[in-house]
Amino acid sequence: MSEATPLQGGNPGWAGERGEFEHLSEADIRGTSYYGSRSLAGENAGGVCAYPYQLLRKNPDAPLFEGPYAERFQKILSRYPDKQGALLPTLNLAQEVRGHLSPESMEHVAELLGLMPTYVRGVATFYTMYNKQPVGDFLIQVCTNVACNMCGADEVMESFLEHTSTEAGETTADGNFTVIEAECLGACGFPTAVQINERYFENVAPEDVPAILQQLRGEATR
Amino acid sequence: MAYPYRHDKEVRILSEHFGDPEARTLEGWQKRGGYVALKKALGMSPEDIITEVKASGLRGRGGAGFPTGVKWSFLKNDGLPHYLLINADESEPGAFKDRELCRWTPHQLIEGSLIAAHAIRAQHVYLYIRGEFFEPAQVIGRAIEEAYTAGFAGKDVMGSGLTIDVTLHLGAGAYICGEETALMNSLEGRRGQPRIKPPFPAVYGAFGQPTNINNVETLCVVPHIINNGGAWYRQWGTEKSPGTKLFNMSGHLVRRGNFELPLGFPLKELIYDVCGGIRNGRSLKAVIPGGSSVPILSADEIDINLDYESVAAAGTMLGTASVMVMDDQTNMVKQVRRMVDFYAHESCGQCTPCREGTEWLAKILRRIEDGMGVEGDLDLLLDLGRNMTGTTICVLSDSAAAPVASSIEKFKDDYLALIRRGASAAATA
Ligand SMILES: Cc1cc2nc3c(=O)[nH]c(=O)nc-3n(C[C@H](O)[C@H](O)[C@H](O)COP(=O)(O)O)c2cc1C
Ligand code: SF4
Ligand code: FES
Repeated sequence: MSEATPLQGGNPGWAGERGEFEHLSEADIRGTSYYGSRSLAGENAGGVCAYPYQLLRKNPDAPLFEGPYAERFQKILSRYPDKQGALLPTLNLAQEVRGHLSPESMEHVAELLGLMPTYVRGVATFYTMYNKQPVGDFLIQVCTNVACNMCGADEVMESFLEHTSTEAGETTADGNFTVIEAECLGACGFPTAVQINERYFENVAPEDVPAILQQLRGEATR
Repeated sequence: MAYPYRHDKEVRILSEHFGDPEARTLEGWQKRGGYVALKKALGMSPEDIITEVKASGLRGRGGAGFPTGVKWSFLKNDGLPHYLLINADESEPGAFKDRELCRWTPHQLIEGSLIAAHAIRAQHVYLYIRGEFFEPAQVIGRAIEEAYTAGFAGKDVMGSGLTIDVTLHLGAGAYICGEETALMNSLEGRRGQPRIKPPFPAVYGAFGQPTNINNVETLCVVPHIINNGGAWYRQWGTEKSPGTKLFNMSGHLVRRGNFELPLGFPLKELIYDVCGGIRNGRSLKAVIPGGSSVPILSADEIDINLDYESVAAAGTMLGTASVMVMDDQTNMVKQVRRMVDFYAHESCGQCTPCREGTEWLAKILRRIEDGMGVEGDLDLLLDLGRNMTGTTICVLSDSAAAPVASSIEKFKDDYLALIRRGASAAATA
């Protein structure tokens, strides 16, 4: 028996239940109307240099830490009392350009920070957000934890798998989508919460899935 | 106004500007009275700030409810580098308040953090935000830029001669990094595994230096206390749990979202009045009042007030005030199993009772859910849970055991029905 209490209609793809804030635009709610565009070099060292972009086009052979990335790396280094402190943000940079962390990328980071490659690998494998394998242009993470689950998250997960014709963790043949289950995304009041690259899609019901995938295909580069 | 619904019974101190995009900007924030408290605090001594915060009775909003002013006073004037860490790792199932604070009121958080940094004599603030929060992180990142440009962060903060750097640091997907010492390890570029205490962070914290760590919501309260005084904050809440709190409401409610209410607010009124009751005309089955780590309440136990003491007296915990509400159609065993799966996935693996225990709990629960359980499994689960409680470095292990034990105690029939259905299916097969 389904435990779903899906929202009926009104979900433009990214959020259905906006309560008394229907008048706000997507850009207002996401904050993009405020932070605007960012430079690859990351602007101020304290603020935006440390967080990765989720670039649509990922090139597993792209050079690491060159051009604006070299600048960004230097800014990151300046924020920690030792080089090891910069490890997580530096791994983020590597993943940003290449889409995942290959053993070679990790070795490169190790060398740059004066750490043992085995140490870097030990740290990287601890964290789920470092992709050890290449993923699709859109990494779709469906929260199936309890607050979403009791409102029908398993059905949403199934719907994503069905409409992409994949198994969890598999990438579609066109390279567009990889769907995985996620733990709580910290958006429990907006079930089901789904993270797609940088963005959260909220109040997603199984029947919203085709429209979301359609929207993403429109954004896709291939 | 809290987001995405508001209610007349709310007392909106932290959430007044939720849903107001202009409040995100430095200019907009200053128009709304922002950074007046920082200016005032920079003219006060660290001791005077701590005295005021102690007077307010503010308790940490990260889950444990430790008095904030007392925690700050543990750091000595010793000339060592001090660090302030902001815990924005929010990953506890049910909790979604810090995300709203970060994405709607970034300057409120930065202002509170700068005041706290001055109070504990920290020269560097690290804002550790969970890696999944790209959107809030970008909002905060931009706000940090603005604060630097205005001279509110970095060298010579507001002309005071103090240097307070603020750095955004993203996590990379690990619930356990919300535990304070795991967060420190993660910040230092290590695996996010909790440290054995003592030594406590106030003596040996991030990068081996005296460190204080606070939750996002805790720090957001600070500017208001500096502006209005500790006594002002006490007009809400109870003697031991003063002030207001964001209640993060999820599950089968008519209105879900964040609501800011005085501590001590009645749970029943919160569910049926503020949140409009249960969705789809169903009835209530259970409530988890403080995030997935706390014992479950059954529908007949909700006549309680939501302050730290009253919730503890009811045998559970207020935690992060993340209230998950389940209707009568909820499959309790499945949901408890899902919680335990989470803890099994997130255990950092250092302690055997936790690493092995969470896996075993999950396996046995799945077996019951699939109709393959036996009645003896319930005792086995309880016994496992007892061995996982109070035996490990951090309390993740205890957190996994708590919902299992309380659900078996209060919803035993749900378990037995699955077990018996399985047994009779096997007999007729
Ligand atoms: C397993 C575990 C996870 C935790 N996760 C968080 C978290 O995500 N955010 C948070 O603020 N505190 C979390 N805490 C509590 C912190 O260890 C710490 O008590 C808190 O950040 C202190 O801040 P406060 O005094 O302002 O409440 C967690 C604790 C444990 C044991
Ligand atoms: S209790 Fe679990 S999560 Fe905590 S330190 Fe031990 S193994 Fe790690
Ligand atoms: S349980 Fe799904 S976002 Fe928290």
